[in-house]
Amino acid sequence: MKCEILYPGAFPMVRVYLDASETVKAESGAMVAASPTIDIESKMEGGFLGALSRKMLSGEKFFFQTLRASRGAGEVLLAPTVPGEIVLLELDGVNEYMVQKDGFLAGAEGVKIESKMQSLTRGLLGGEGFFILKIGGTGHLVLNSFGAIHKIELKPNEEYIVDNSHLVAWTSTTTYNIEKASSGWIASLTSGEGLVCRFRGPGVVYIQSRNPGSFGNWIRQFIPVSE
Amino acid sequence: MNPIPNALCFGDGLPGVGAPCHVTVSADGLTMVPVGTSPLVEEAIAFADMSVEAGGLDHDQLVVSWGTGSSARTLYLKDPALIIAFRRAAPAELTAHLERAAVQVRRARHGHRLLWGSVLGVVFGLGLLLWFGTDLIVEWAVARIPIEWEQKLGESVYQDFLSKETVLKEGPAVSAVQEMTQRLTDKIRDNPYKFQISVVQSPVVNAFALPGGYVVVFTGLMTKAESGEEVAGVLSHELNHVLQRHGMERMVKMLGLAAVVGILLGDQQGLTGLAKQVGMELVTLKFGRAQETEADVTGIRLLSDARIAPDGMIRFFERLSEKDKARVEVFSTHPMSAGRAERLKAELAALPKRTPEPFTFQWKTIQDSLGVSDPKK
Repeated sequence: MKCEILYPGAFPMVRVYLDASETVKAESGAMVAASPTIDIESKMEGGFLGALSRKMLSGEKFFFQTLRASRGAGEVLLAPTVPGEIVLLELDGVNEYMVQKDGFLAGAEGVKIESKMQSLTRGLLGGEGFFILKIGGTGHLVLNSFGAIHKIELKPNEEYIVDNSHLVAWTSTTTYNIEKASSGWIASLTSGEGLVCRFRGPGVVYIQSRNPGSFGNWIRQFIPVSE
Repeated sequence: MNPIPNALCFGDGLPGVGAPCHVTVSADGLTMVPVGTSPLVEEAIAFADMSVEAGGLDHDQLVVSWGTGSSARTLYLKDPALIIAFRRAAPAELTAHLERAAVQVRRARHGHRLLWGSVLGVVFGLGLLLWFGTDLIVEWAVARIPIEWEQKLGESVYQDFLSKETVLKEGPAVSAVQEMTQRLTDKIRDNPYKFQISVVQSPVVNAFALPGGYVVVFTGLMTKAESGEEVAGVLSHELNHVLQRHGMERMVKMLGLAAVVGILLGDQQGLTGLAKQVGMELVTLKFGRAQETEADVTGIRLLSDARIAPDGMIRFFERLSEKDKARVEVFSTHPMSAGRAERLKAELAALPKRTPEPFTFQWKTIQDSLGVSDPKK
């Protein structure tokens, strides 16, 4: 399996080359076009209960699509729903990424996806919900974001503060605490930042340059109210 | 061929996500072999040169660090088998760190479980409370309703009801009922209510009590009863529904949460408005099984205290049940089961034997007066 990002920027697409009988998992609805040799299977990753729990608990799609090159090599074009950059990661079996629930676009056959329960404070205050995706295994992993994607590399014990709604993914070697953005509660709320995550390295944190929630609030004012 | 990576190494010049490497444990330290193309070089680290702690997002990874400055390296081990092997091989001076690390992991996991456990517990507890505790919540709320509200509510329904019925103002039947009520209420300790009893001209074989102490006895009940004690038994039962505030409990249950909130906020007007919705339903209100039992038991005790033969009510019900079950209203609001009769008899047996004092009236005279005053009979 080989991956290539087409039209990098706000409206990218991923071209995935599959050898005969290779498969790629993708977010359901992500396929744009494919060679005639590719079959689309709907597969519930982690079995029915696993898929159900992912749907119920993390709000992630119930099904992933599995695209299989069953009649010979071919290519698939995949695209996310929201405008924003795509990042290609390589999993080597020891790396693990925590991904917020909308961040997954596609993964190779060897990529394992599970729903993970966060601790109570992180779930309540972190802004990603109680359940996030824990993605490990081996092979290519494709994540999408809203806006541009930015990578923050943290050395051991190096810290960085991220507004929680801008998080896309972070490696499991990092730790984070939820904090108020300013020292007082009022200042935290009026500064528009509210709660932030203080990450501590080593590891990598991917953030998105736009906040989906704020964008939604902004665009709502232009939507005519129906009678 | 490259070995399978089982650890990540961090440090200057290494990738931000960590350089994958393969770590093996030996008797005197670790050996780290880089996997794939990486600036990392193979290195053997002695136990004496390293420090150890727990780390990672869930505190379940073993973090090994060594070196200073630009050659400082940090190794993250996640594989449980590798961590166990490390802990077995490491010398005592490192073990202290490791044990602390292990305790940290366990504490983090324990805290996690405890938190989720208590959240589930609270949710489960709330469910149980709603399922079984409705009666408790209702009782608690009713205990906060001032008697005056209850009286106001009862009185409006009472006057409404009486205005549509023929009320006996005087006569032997009225004085007989007054005598019974007097003897019963005299024996009630700390009675907050001023009971008002009316005798209503009607063939209905029943009696009912409204919240606030308003009791109605139908002449039909009195013509069917064979003695004053039988009527007094029913009366005592009704009085105890009032004393236990059963009517209010049923009402609050019917009105639901809105009523409880109204009571808490002291919103008398709102509550009266809500109660108006229930209105005349109070007259035909069916009490719950537990409430009937409570009124039975306290009713029979009150009879005994007032020195009125306490078996009147049981006899009355047993006699009527055989022939008139279908058309006697008293059974629709007071269903008599075998179990209920048994319980009443058991309660009766447990009471101290007191010599009953007869009423001053002759029951025959009362019934005659009713027969005369009721042209339908």
